[in-house]
Amino acid sequence: MTPQIELVDVQKHYGSFHALKDINLTVPKGQFVALVGPSGCGKSTLLRSIAGLERISGGTLRIEAQVVNDLPPRKRDLAMVFQSYALYPHMSVRDNLTYALRLNGVSKAERAKAAEEVAGVIGLEDLLDRKPRELSGGQRQRVAMGRAIIREPKAFLFDEPLSNLDAALRVRMRKEVRALHDRIGATSVYVTHDQIEAMTMADHVVVLRAGVIEQQGAPMELYDRPANRFVAGFIGSPAMNFVPGALTGAGTVRLELPGSPEIGVEMGGEAGRAVTVGLRPEHLIVGREEGAKIPVTIGAVEQTGSSCYLFTEGDPEVLVTTEGTSAIRAGDAVSLHVAPGHVHLFDPKTGLTLRG
Amino acid sequence: MSALTNRLMLAAALALAAIYLFPLYWMYVTSLKTQSSIFAVPPEFLPGTPQWQNYVTIWELANIPRFMGNSLFIAVGVTAITGLFGAGCAYVLARYRNVWIDAALFTILMLQVLPPSLMVTPIFVGFSWAGLLEYPRIAAILAISAKTMPFFVILCRAAFMTVPRELEEAALVDGNSRAGAFFMIVLPLARNGILISALLVFMQGFGEYVYSASIIADNRLQPASIGMTNYLQPNQVNWNAIMAFAATYVTPILAAFVLLQRQIVNGLTAGALK
Repeated sequence: MTPQIELVDVQKHYGSFHALKDINLTVPKGQFVALVGPSGCGKSTLLRSIAGLERISGGTLRIEAQVVNDLPPRKRDLAMVFQSYALYPHMSVRDNLTYALRLNGVSKAERAKAAEEVAGVIGLEDLLDRKPRELSGGQRQRVAMGRAIIREPKAFLFDEPLSNLDAALRVRMRKEVRALHDRIGATSVYVTHDQIEAMTMADHVVVLRAGVIEQQGAPMELYDRPANRFVAGFIGSPAMNFVPGALTGAGTVRLELPGSPEIGVEMGGEAGRAVTVGLRPEHLIVGREEGAKIPVTIGAVEQTGSSCYLFTEGDPEVLVTTEGTSAIRAGDAVSLHVAPGHVHLFDPKTGLTLRG
Repeated sequence: MSALTNRLMLAAALALAAIYLFPLYWMYVTSLKTQSSIFAVPPEFLPGTPQWQNYVTIWELANIPRFMGNSLFIAVGVTAITGLFGAGCAYVLARYRNVWIDAALFTILMLQVLPPSLMVTPIFVGFSWAGLLEYPRIAAILAISAKTMPFFVILCRAAFMTVPRELEEAALVDGNSRAGAFFMIVLPLARNGILISALLVFMQGFGEYVYSASIIADNRLQPASIGMTNYLQPNQVNWNAIMAFAATYVTPILAAFVLLQRQIVNGLTAGALK
């Protein structure tokens, strides 16, 4: 099956600034792909390049097997939802929804029918005659979505569409967007800086940094087997702890923490080799009496009710999360255990994951 | 702010407005006086019997329809040329940001600074050489447009800058061409600002004096701003005639301003506040 969108060695230069480097990405039909990364990583540039709002400087961009490098946006048949929604302020909701159809020469009667249909899908039947300024943030967001789905385009492009909504609405819309994607069998490329959005919504997550794809794969693959320290730190919340250490050569690694504790790893390697040890906060267990022990003193405690964040004293600080409430207070001495099979090792220089 | 300060501020504002508006008032009053009451001491702040026939006389005697027609012709020409070329220029200056755009903006602001009395000699020489003085009203329109253009471009640019770029991009993705997005999305949204700027340009063209006086020698082609000065002679000045002429000339402009004042203020401050 030909992929819906395919990028091969795509480059983008702005003057001397190399914004996108050797981007290779394949989006099969029906897939939900999230582009995620810190601000300035090139994820929006990549999306805008797919849309045709930016012209790529090198490589090949195909949509349904057709090379579209030099096609203007209007000939690519993609729909885009903008962060600011970009609703046309001088048009009613109905006209906003049907603008693309009007440009494509669809008759007025058919446009009206399509508008009613889409308004039903997004739940805005009563607001069709309003102007965008008379709508709430959530309603505007829905109109922006509606404007995209009315066209039945080859793919949907989302540029941080939920970032202007408040937290509760964002969580709800997350589910709705994904449900909509599944219902209409769409192909979606979704840009976000929020790794939780990426993890929860997407089938395939692409992590970008400084214009380079650091890793791409299924959300849980990125979580369980990060390719490097950057991805390991970026995916997962709260972020992974990184502790310097050294291999002992006997299937353990010695941490550079007070008491030089050793924890088991599935890796031999040469004794004394310096490594960075990655430990996820949720994989550290407080005070159970089996496995390797790491003696620490708790420096601070944050309770949220559903979980408890324990920060150790000293440098590097290690964060441990436990479920529910905890009786541990700042100043308590405890020992940490590592859930077996959840130790990540990275090369301290290159940041690449080391595997045994 | 307390109620007292509020009132004091209001009183100060009214006093200042009265000072600014007094000449206007004096023009209307004088236009309705007899020759003798104009120079009465102490001055008469209200005309005894309004001399409405001053207007009738001046209308016929001074060829007001012809002068006003010429003024209108020039103002329309100036507005058309400035609007047509200025809007495109302003759009480009609003949409792109780089060193060249900054340089262009600076140059445009500089052009705005040059006074017409300085520019008129080189323009006259240039037009004479190009044979444009054969068509004096067209020549005047071109000269005045050169003056109004920077003003219009700067105002219009502000209007275009209020239109978010993402709207245009949304239109491109929705299926518009570059030009289509400009005409269907950007232009309607910047319309108010553009219309107001055009109105201000029209008024400048309607009241222009320096270029018209230098370029248009033929009395039949002169605008009202020059026609009025025919009544200023070295030895005798027909004050009530001049004032009646002036009143006829400025009243349409004033009416437009009063009717549109809210839109004008909104248009000028567009983009200043979110």
